[in-house]
Amino acid sequence: MASKHTIATRHAQGIRARFASRFLRSLLRVRRSSNRFGGSQSNDEGIGKRIRTDRIKIAAYAAMARAVGPRRTWSRALLFKLRNRARIHGVSRKRCLVSEKKRVTRNKVVAISREPSRADTLRKLVPGGDSMDTCVLLEETAHYIKCLATQVTVMQSIADRLLL
Amino acid sequence: MDPPLINETSFSAANPSSYTLAEIWPFPPPPPPPTRSGLRMDNLADPDGSLEESTLTDQSSGNGTRIRKTRDFSSEKDDSTKIVSTTTSANDLNDSNGKRRKITGSRSVNDDSRAETEASSAANNKSAEQSSKASEPPKQDYIHVKARRGQATDSHSLAERARREKISERMNMLQDLVPGCNKVIGKALVLDEIINYIQSLQCQVEFLSMKLEAVNSRMNTSTTIEGLHPKDLGAQPFVATGMIFSPQPTREYVQGSQSEWLHMQVGGSFERAL
Repeated sequence: MASKHTIATRHAQGIRARFASRFLRSLLRVRRSSNRFGGSQSNDEGIGKRIRTDRIKIAAYAAMARAVGPRRTWSRALLFKLRNRARIHGVSRKRCLVSEKKRVTRNKVVAISREPSRADTLRKLVPGGDSMDTCVLLEETAHYIKCLATQVTVMQSIADRLLL
Repeated sequence: MDPPLINETSFSAANPSSYTLAEIWPFPPPPPPPTRSGLRMDNLADPDGSLEESTLTDQSSGNGTRIRKTRDFSSEKDDSTKIVSTTTSANDLNDSNGKRRKITGSRSVNDDSRAETEASSAANNKSAEQSSKASEPPKQDYIHVKARRGQATDSHSLAERARREKISERMNMLQDLVPGCNKVIGKALVLDEIINYIQSLQCQVEFLSMKLEAVNSRMNTSTTIEGLHPKDLGAQPFVATGMIFSPQPTREYVQGSQSEWLHMQVGGSFERAL
């Protein structure tokens, strides 16, 4: 039990350290790119701020998923989503333009057929939860919560350190 | 139950033709007359022989077809008399059929062996039951009790029970993980609590990224990249030592270095891992 505990400690610490280094690197990249386009962002400050915030958020999630690796279903789904983000985004926008009516009817059918339960809400929150049964969903949720908490503490400490 | 045993063995030793008939009789049920004669002789020899023969026919038919069926039979009926009768019949047909003797022996031992025979018979069943097999042995007694009362021993019920147990176990794990969730009773409320916690964490990530963006852009104007660069470089050897060594030297190393916030993270990891 004790050896298991130390292994778990080292494992969590490894994830934490990997996430911290990756996130700092991507933060640096965000800053460099914003340095490069500093003149254009000064014109519309709000939009640039929002874009940069989104980039930092995406960088945080990507760093977390890469730190966990492809062992977990949620990290795999997150990495897939991030990798194909541009493509999916463009396709979905196009589809939205083309078949707005179809989508609306489909949504209505789903809403009529079944009221979303709590497990479905959880499925939406956990990445890649659509294709899980309840047991796997709960297990992945546990790991996802752990990683999210780690992410929040690391980001908090980085922010505190940078503010000082 | 000893007198019939002795009687039958002595009778069969004395009369080999009737013994072979009694041995062959369970497998082809249609020809009744010769077995009738054997039965009648048993009845004449002992009044208890009729009951013994009836149990023997029942059990032999079950053994000839399937193990599952015999399990269901035995779970339906009361076990004590059944076990006794099977032992006596096994003694009767001691040298007749090796397979039958083995099956009756395993059946008369206990519930565990019965579970084993069930597992071997259900090896070609669905994968759901195979997954439920891992958690079957600890709650074998529970299943046994349920089978006596309401006969819920089919594979679907077993798999469903194992699944529910697994889900409740995961829910307990999650309850330990989410703060303030231990007092909540009821699965739905626990799930609500978990959902709220995940949403709050995601909101925190959003808020922190906003904060980091502000800090980042402010440092962007005031200082240059060198403000963050040494820390970034300092993070990489920290990662390497964290991979190679145990946690304790890592902490000392970070304490030695000037990157204080990384030390805070390591301390936080120690607290969180508990």
